[in-house]
Amino acid sequence: MRAVHYVNQFFAGLGGEDKAETPPTRLEGPVGPGRGLTAELGDVEIVATLACGDDYFAEHEEDALAALLGYLDDDHPDVLVAGPAFGSGRYGYACGTLAAAAAERGIPAVAAMHPENPGVDAAGKAYVVPTAVNVAGMRDALPRLGRLASALAAGRELGGPDEEGYLPRGLRRNYFAEQTGAERAIELLLGKLAGETRTEVGGGLDRVEPPAPVPDLSETLVALVTEAGCVPQGNPDRLPSVRAQGWFRYDLNGEETLAAARYESVHGGFDVTLANEDPNRLVPLDTARELEREGRIGRLHDAFYTTTGNGTPVVTATRFGREIAGELREAGVGAVLLSGT
Amino acid sequence: MAWELASFSADLPEEIEVEGAEVEIVRPGEPVRVTHVLDAVEPRIRPDGRPAFPTGGKAGEGRTNRLDGVIVLSCLDFPGEERPLHEQESIVDLGGPGAEYAPFSQETCIVVSFHAPEGARNEELEAKARKETLSLAEQLAAVTLEGEPVTVETFELGDVDGDLPRVAALIQLSDLGPLYYQYVYGQPAGQAGLPRPIDPAELLDGAVTCGEYHWAAMRNPTLFFQRNELVRALHREHGTRLDFRGVVLMRGYEQSADDKQRAAEGAAARAEELGAGGVIITTDAGGNSHTDVMLTCRACERAGIRTTVILAEETDPESTRPILTDWVPEADAIVSTGNVEELLEAWAPGRVLGGDTLLDGTSAAAAGAIPVRNYLGAANQMGQLALGARSG
Repeated sequence: MRAVHYVNQFFAGLGGEDKAETPPTRLEGPVGPGRGLTAELGDVEIVATLACGDDYFAEHEEDALAALLGYLDDDHPDVLVAGPAFGSGRYGYACGTLAAAAAERGIPAVAAMHPENPGVDAAGKAYVVPTAVNVAGMRDALPRLGRLASALAAGRELGGPDEEGYLPRGLRRNYFAEQTGAERAIELLLGKLAGETRTEVGGGLDRVEPPAPVPDLSETLVALVTEAGCVPQGNPDRLPSVRAQGWFRYDLNGEETLAAARYESVHGGFDVTLANEDPNRLVPLDTARELEREGRIGRLHDAFYTTTGNGTPVVTATRFGREIAGELREAGVGAVLLSGT
Repeated sequence: MAWELASFSADLPEEIEVEGAEVEIVRPGEPVRVTHVLDAVEPRIRPDGRPAFPTGGKAGEGRTNRLDGVIVLSCLDFPGEERPLHEQESIVDLGGPGAEYAPFSQETCIVVSFHAPEGARNEELEAKARKETLSLAEQLAAVTLEGEPVTVETFELGDVDGDLPRVAALIQLSDLGPLYYQYVYGQPAGQAGLPRPIDPAELLDGAVTCGEYHWAAMRNPTLFFQRNELVRALHREHGTRLDFRGVVLMRGYEQSADDKQRAAEGAAARAEELGAGGVIITTDAGGNSHTDVMLTCRACERAGIRTTVILAEETDPESTRPILTDWVPEADAIVSTGNVEELLEAWAPGRVLGGDTLLDGTSAAAAGAIPVRNYLGAANQMGQLALGARSG
């Protein structure tokens, strides 16, 4: 089985900070820490070492990544190993980014670095083996890195992070536990009452901090955005009632109200009967027009944005938000009335 | 007062008839896929003549007989174009990879597929199907009145050592409107005066029944109240590791922010009245019911009651982004009953009951991979089953 190893200019023996601008290059066989790693890889052979200067990667990420992925395409390894980068932020970032890109292309990939290295976040679906913060941890890191890399090269299905020695990637995998959920809940509760709190799901949410108030609404272009599944009657663009994959923009054409004869909600997460008697209660166009006439808002943007926020994974919803916000910003919109259901 | 649950070995008739429905008996091991499943019910009857699924009086007293190893599965393909039901397919696989995800395949299933006559309204059809299903479950258990039980279990919470941790279960019941009701003594959860405490034996004895047809995997079918693993596990530990103080039923899908807050504080107050120092909070369905759970968790913690929350995850299996619909920092001890978005491999059943076409229009016999969320009760958030999710 074949491995390709990624290191920075320093570990490749090309030089220190003075060589940090070195563009990607390919060296035959194992180099630097790759030699020690070889001993831990069993029947996996390091066929090539890819190296890149840390500054070059940071400043020309797109080009560097394209060149490195090009080498990987030529070498078609069974596994990509990156690092160890220890606590080095730029090196770790390059390791994580390359490993993530390789994993996206279906090449099993593992990087090694300190758990607080920013490269951990960049690693996406690639595996990251935790290491000490500096190079003194090399001897401890290589056997663990080698073991995981061999397993990946062999295509073995990996167990959990604790068992296999990698950092949790945030991916969630189902399994059958030895106890029922009820029994596990009792264990967690009795543990917590005894002072030992554990959880099966880490908390954390995509918390959105409230932005600063709009300085002067009467001077501001305001848009209506909703996740209420509000669409023109008949749902011409076939917005799904659940798990939408996109969003739509509909021109208001100067309309004063969202008439029930012209609009409806296709949302699958609530009983739409009452909402469909007056779609203004989902997208408050009638009230917004009144505020516009009274001069309390500068002007109403002449399109509204809609999707169905029902069963939507956070990652998808975040994309919708980014895309819609991008369009609105371009149109000069300074405030949004976002109606949720 | 004690409640006895007497188990009888199954003695089923050759033919079972239900008006307006096809009935099939499926033995364990048959490669059958059942679609459009509404509910799962264990056949039960009371020797004293009171109803097995009472709409009045008090359940959980005296004796109830159960047929061991038999489950009634009711199925209905709703005819109406009312969108909330679309894409919320509910499947029970009695073979293939899906069979592992619930207890159904290990027992004899009596599959009752209700007809949907032209022009019939969803709510009327559902009410009839629910009534007929509970009634069939009771009729099937009538044979036990002549027989001898194999085992008799007694449920009674005696006084225990005062130093044991005092624990209650806060069980959430959905009420999101018609077709999304859980019933307490025949009343929709929102009209049943919740939150309120009930004797755990009432829950096991037919006081709560299912009429909630939301996400199949996160649904609490009647069977899971009758055989409630959480109440049973708390009973098992009562007097040894904990002092089981009782059950509080609370509503999921309170409809306004004020109602949500009030209900959360009400549930915490009921737990406090039970003397609970710790509670296990369960969840019914998904989305805004998870907010009710989180607010209840916070209200309990603020009242000095420690909490564990049971819930399912709804996250793209390929995403590394946050995974919970709602969360409060007080929810620091969560049991995950699985990620409902994970796909189960395609399986070719030998026979399909309930309806040949899935709600998304594909053939039930030749469907591709199906997500966990479409499997009835598979990620049940009362902790009924062993499925979990962990970071990988």
